[in-house]
Amino acid sequence: MTGTESDGSMSAPSRTAVRDRLDRVTDPELDRSIIELEYVDRIEIDGDRVAVEFTLPTAWCSPAFAWMMAVDARDEVESLSAVEAARITLREHMHEAEINRGVNEELSFAEAFPDADGDVAAVRAELDEKARVARQYDAVETLLEAGLDAEAIVALRPRDLKRPEADGDDAAVGATADATEAVAVYVRDRSFAVSVPAEPIERYLEKARETDLVSGPDDVLFRTPEGEPIDANSFDLVHQRGRLAQVNMSSQGGICDGLREAREERLEEPADD
Amino acid sequence: MYQHNGEEIFVIDAHVHLWDATTENIDHDGGEEFIQCFYDYHTTFTPEEREWSMEEYRKYGPDRMVEDLFGNAAADMAIFQPTYLSDFYVEGFNTTEQNAELATEYPERFVLNGSFDPRDGDEGLEYLEDLHETYDIPGVKLYTAEWRGESKGWRLDDEEAFEFLEKCSELGIENIHAHKGPTIRPLNRDAFDVADVDDAASSFPELNFIVEHVGLPRLDDFCWIAAQENNVYGGLAVAAPFAQNRPGKFSEIMSELLWWLGEDRILFGSDYALWNPDWLVEEVLEAELTQEHRMEYGVEWDLETKKKVMGENAAELYDVDIEEKRRQFQDDEISLEFDLGDHYASEEPAAADD
Repeated sequence: MTGTESDGSMSAPSRTAVRDRLDRVTDPELDRSIIELEYVDRIEIDGDRVAVEFTLPTAWCSPAFAWMMAVDARDEVESLSAVEAARITLREHMHEAEINRGVNEELSFAEAFPDADGDVAAVRAELDEKARVARQYDAVETLLEAGLDAEAIVALRPRDLKRPEADGDDAAVGATADATEAVAVYVRDRSFAVSVPAEPIERYLEKARETDLVSGPDDVLFRTPEGEPIDANSFDLVHQRGRLAQVNMSSQGGICDGLREAREERLEEPADD
Repeated sequence: MYQHNGEEIFVIDAHVHLWDATTENIDHDGGEEFIQCFYDYHTTFTPEEREWSMEEYRKYGPDRMVEDLFGNAAADMAIFQPTYLSDFYVEGFNTTEQNAELATEYPERFVLNGSFDPRDGDEGLEYLEDLHETYDIPGVKLYTAEWRGESKGWRLDDEEAFEFLEKCSELGIENIHAHKGPTIRPLNRDAFDVADVDDAASSFPELNFIVEHVGLPRLDDFCWIAAQENNVYGGLAVAAPFAQNRPGKFSEIMSELLWWLGEDRILFGSDYALWNPDWLVEEVLEAELTQEHRMEYGVEWDLETKKKVMGENAAELYDVDIEEKRRQFQDDEISLEFDLGDHYASEEPAAADD
């Protein structure tokens, strides 16, 4: 159901399988994959043990964010049946010692950072919610492009979505989809369906489920940033807020990119002399 | 006055500092981390040939500041925004008193803001009154992430903060600038949470709340609050230098701001010496919104909008009469020093050469 390849548990995991797993780890503030962001420097596979090294754009990236990425990387890699243990190493970070020790010794954030106010759960939830809002924008854009109107979109529920080949099994929507797949969206009391690219819908559903807004087939699919169903009259405003959430993330991404470039130039300078 | 396509734009740089981060003035590791972090932001968003050395960056002094701001007439006026950081720096990093050195020398060119910290209690209220009496400050810059002993920050909607805002209201200190922006080492990211502005702004409708750095990385929260509270403004410091090396991003941020806040509630600021107006003003004025963003948002970065954002909006908040300033600057000390007299005379009736 998770759509991963079944690695033989006797043999070592493939590099591709490890990378695919790491590709699911996002920078929580930017909602982009750590592979795509080029944070991962090194993957080493030794039998059923995998070591991953990564670097963030600056040495003072929020320790809470760094922690989330390190923990998620560990959990994703260890979810492969061929992996017994993953060792995660964050490099060049002001709190790398605490983070590396905590993640590899399976401590909680509060145990790893006794000075911190509490756990990272609340921060993670807040960022997940922002990521959901931004992903909703893409999903809704896809539906608008397919010709659906506000009234139809705000009324959608997971039961209205189907993979054409899925034999009526609602649960089929929600697995990872590649760019070529489509999903059928039933509207007007299931009187007709339109086919739309599956990826933005699936990406949205993933976060909607993570944030517990959508769990059953009859839950209202799209929500305001506050988590409420959307009134058709405020559809445009809610959609604009989704766009804003995207701009916020990509702007922060611009700052991170810039800081990373500046850091790389500085680190490379001595070699140029 | 910036000359833009034959038009003149009066520029008020609404966010400048005169700081001292020399090693002698640092008495906490946080002070060194802080200036190093500033320097990273500086190099990230400064054209390579305009980058300063770290030594220049630690302390540039009043003469250089005056030249950088006004020497090529990129800015016509500037507003000091203090940042105390008294736990990190022996004499403070950038206090009202440090800024006053320059502001009182050229009062026609500078606006001097003060600051308060609600954790200082009654003593803090007295200090605020002193600043009002000594300098007649029209505004305050607040740094909610500042460390003070055990405390790692405070919120604008704290009960204690409300006492200070009441005092501001009573004294006629109308402009409340709050730093709500990128994480600055070693300060905690969450201390820059913008949510506390909402309650403060609705509780004090007679005050203006200028959110510096437009809340980045919380632009979404900021715009949503500003859309509902019409006494909330956005300061462009940090967003502005995107114009130089992330023009597409600048276009998108500016489009969002114009869509949510409109053209009357956005204020230009360089954040000097993070960035230098002598190149930044030009970059921002020459920047264009992409065709795609103009279509999508239905907003324009046109001459009228630029005039407002670059000067008129700040003039409105700080009761600056731009026409009067223009006359005054034909022969004030700074125009004489940098030979800018003609610059401010261009709209006068054509006169024969003297």
